[in-house]
Amino acid sequence: MRDRNSAISFVFVFTFIFVTAFTSVFAQENPTVAATASNQVIVKKIKAGFIYVGPVADFGWSYAHEQSRKALVASFPWLESAIVESVAESDCARVIDRLIVEEKCDVVFTTSFGYMNDTLKAAARYPDKSFLHCSGFKRAKNLGTYFAELYQLYYLNGLMAGALTKSGKIGYVAAHPTPEIVRHINALAIGLREVNPRARIDIKWLYSWYDPAKAREAAESLITEGCDVLAFTEDSPAVVQVGQEHTAKGKPVYTFSHYSPMQKYGEDSCVSGQLVDWNGLYEGILLQMYAGVWKADDRWWMLKEGAAKLGASPDQCINPKFVEPLKKAEIQDPVLGKVSVYDLIFKRVSQMSEPGVLFDPFTGPLKDQAGKERLKPGERADQNALWTIDWFIDNVDGTLPR
Amino acid sequence: MDTAFVIATIGRAFTAGTPLLLATLGEIIAERAGVMNLGIEGMMALGAVAGFGVSLESGSPWLGMLAAALAGISLSAIHAFVTIGMRAGQIVSGIALTMFGLGLSALIGKGYIGRPLQTPLHSITIPGLADLPFIGDILFRRDPIFYFAIIIAALIWIILYKTRWGIAIRSVGENPLAAETMGVDVAWVRVWCVLFGGALSGIAGGYLSIVYNPSWIEGMTAGRGWIVIALVIFSFWNPLRAVVAAFLFGGIDVMQFSLQSLGISPNLLRMFPYVATIVALLITSSSITRRHISAPEALGEPYQPR
Repeated sequence: MRDRNSAISFVFVFTFIFVTAFTSVFAQENPTVAATASNQVIVKKIKAGFIYVGPVADFGWSYAHEQSRKALVASFPWLESAIVESVAESDCARVIDRLIVEEKCDVVFTTSFGYMNDTLKAAARYPDKSFLHCSGFKRAKNLGTYFAELYQLYYLNGLMAGALTKSGKIGYVAAHPTPEIVRHINALAIGLREVNPRARIDIKWLYSWYDPAKAREAAESLITEGCDVLAFTEDSPAVVQVGQEHTAKGKPVYTFSHYSPMQKYGEDSCVSGQLVDWNGLYEGILLQMYAGVWKADDRWWMLKEGAAKLGASPDQCINPKFVEPLKKAEIQDPVLGKVSVYDLIFKRVSQMSEPGVLFDPFTGPLKDQAGKERLKPGERADQNALWTIDWFIDNVDGTLPR
Repeated sequence: MDTAFVIATIGRAFTAGTPLLLATLGEIIAERAGVMNLGIEGMMALGAVAGFGVSLESGSPWLGMLAAALAGISLSAIHAFVTIGMRAGQIVSGIALTMFGLGLSALIGKGYIGRPLQTPLHSITIPGLADLPFIGDILFRRDPIFYFAIIIAALIWIILYKTRWGIAIRSVGENPLAAETMGVDVAWVRVWCVLFGGALSGIAGGYLSIVYNPSWIEGMTAGRGWIVIALVIFSFWNPLRAVVAAFLFGGIDVMQFSLQSLGISPNLLRMFPYVATIVALLITSSSITRRHISAPEALGEPYQPR
């Protein structure tokens, strides 16, 4: 009797495992196009595989990539795709094999930094397939890298933060101590200092890319310590919601949304934010592949290319509720003279959108926390320096865990 | 450390601890009746998405909470059928329930991503008491579910130790054969206890998506279901001790960020619930204490009526 029971439960568990594993892979088939076209010309098709580190429903990083994938599949009849979500960084090699061998993908996009080495190995293993690794720096003949970088937007958010803060304390809820986030924090600090030289930034580390509850507790803890402006890098709107709750209770806390349009989570708290648009990057790469002219290279796109956009809602750069206070706040700029923060923001946006990029936040003189000069006056940080940055500007109070 | 800081920290520990407490109470009742349900994570996730969905569509957070409870009940009914009806292994069924609940909630929740909840459950102010210095802010300006959880804890304690029902539940968990001899319908008691546990787990999930973080995001339970399993052991299957333990564990969630500024690694604090549980396990298994605070004797064993 006992044996039969355990046999039944085994069948149960096995079924669950099987169903879960099966449903986690959605393969998009589009047989109708091939059928109608087969009696005329042979239509070339490209099948793209996407590997995501989180659920596509995180309303953050993986969600943004997935939005672009959906848009492209809808607009290009020759494009097929397959996705695998919530893939642990150590588990990437197996999933790449799966996408290539079983799903017959021609190109695989691996969208997390931790997939880098496995993607490199896979590129060597399948020399006739193409690979693209997001946010990494290792390339090969058939392995390119791409990234949508947001530090310019954090700088612009820093300008706003400087004009809005009353306590002079800005809180930053940070996911992991990686160069990308150090860049974000420093850019925020540079903008902040330009408007409000005495304001300072404090940091709480989550050690997680995606954990709404931790982000909430970190935000609450920053507010108790006196911060009245919050920016963050984490893939959920938790920080914006915390800001909204405090603002609704009569204690204004201003927030900057990250990655997805989160203004609707905090109509009275969310000032602006960073929006990403991967469409252009993916479209360019896939169109070149379709035309057979793609070469493995590095694409690092920002404001000028349209991959990064200022705002917290699709149609507004700044929440209309905060336009007045930003217009009233005025500063003395060495080049522009007396200028309102609002005008300064849009001046910077147009400078950074120029083909030649007339302004970059990481321009010297810049000193780190220990007082060491990192950039000489007038010197601009190059991509290499920004890619490996591991020090904080002197108006940041937190430390970088090592 | 000023008063405002202390008030805010304790207050947030209560909020973070409320979902833990609800689910722990539910699991205590189920385990007291001898059924271990490791599917809490799944029931919470399904409760969270059901609660969020219904609140969003109906505009009423209370209906949402009801839906969350029903979601928890329906998942736990599977567990009851498999482990009590079919007498299959409780551990396997529970883990399957977790995976099933997480997957199903993700599937149902696809349409709720990125939609804010406009009608969250607001805190209530208890007249008179709320104006007391210090404890007024901490204890008497909280959300209604917090009070609900405290009341449920007291009720469960009374039921378990002061009523005939309690004797029936505990005897079914300690020695089902003896209980049956005394005329208790073992399967019937166990089913009701498992369903009740499911309801509380569902409400705990609803609390996450309606009160704590008014939004639905996949995986928002973030391992709380497993912390609850640890909490049940840590509170030695006692609903009143569970109150203290749940808010203590909630406080750890909160403190890890306050202590970061002092250079204390959050990883250390994050280990605490599990280390504390191992210590609790050691205590419960030592021969001196075993008689009073150990796990229900028949916990995890399917009961085969003779």
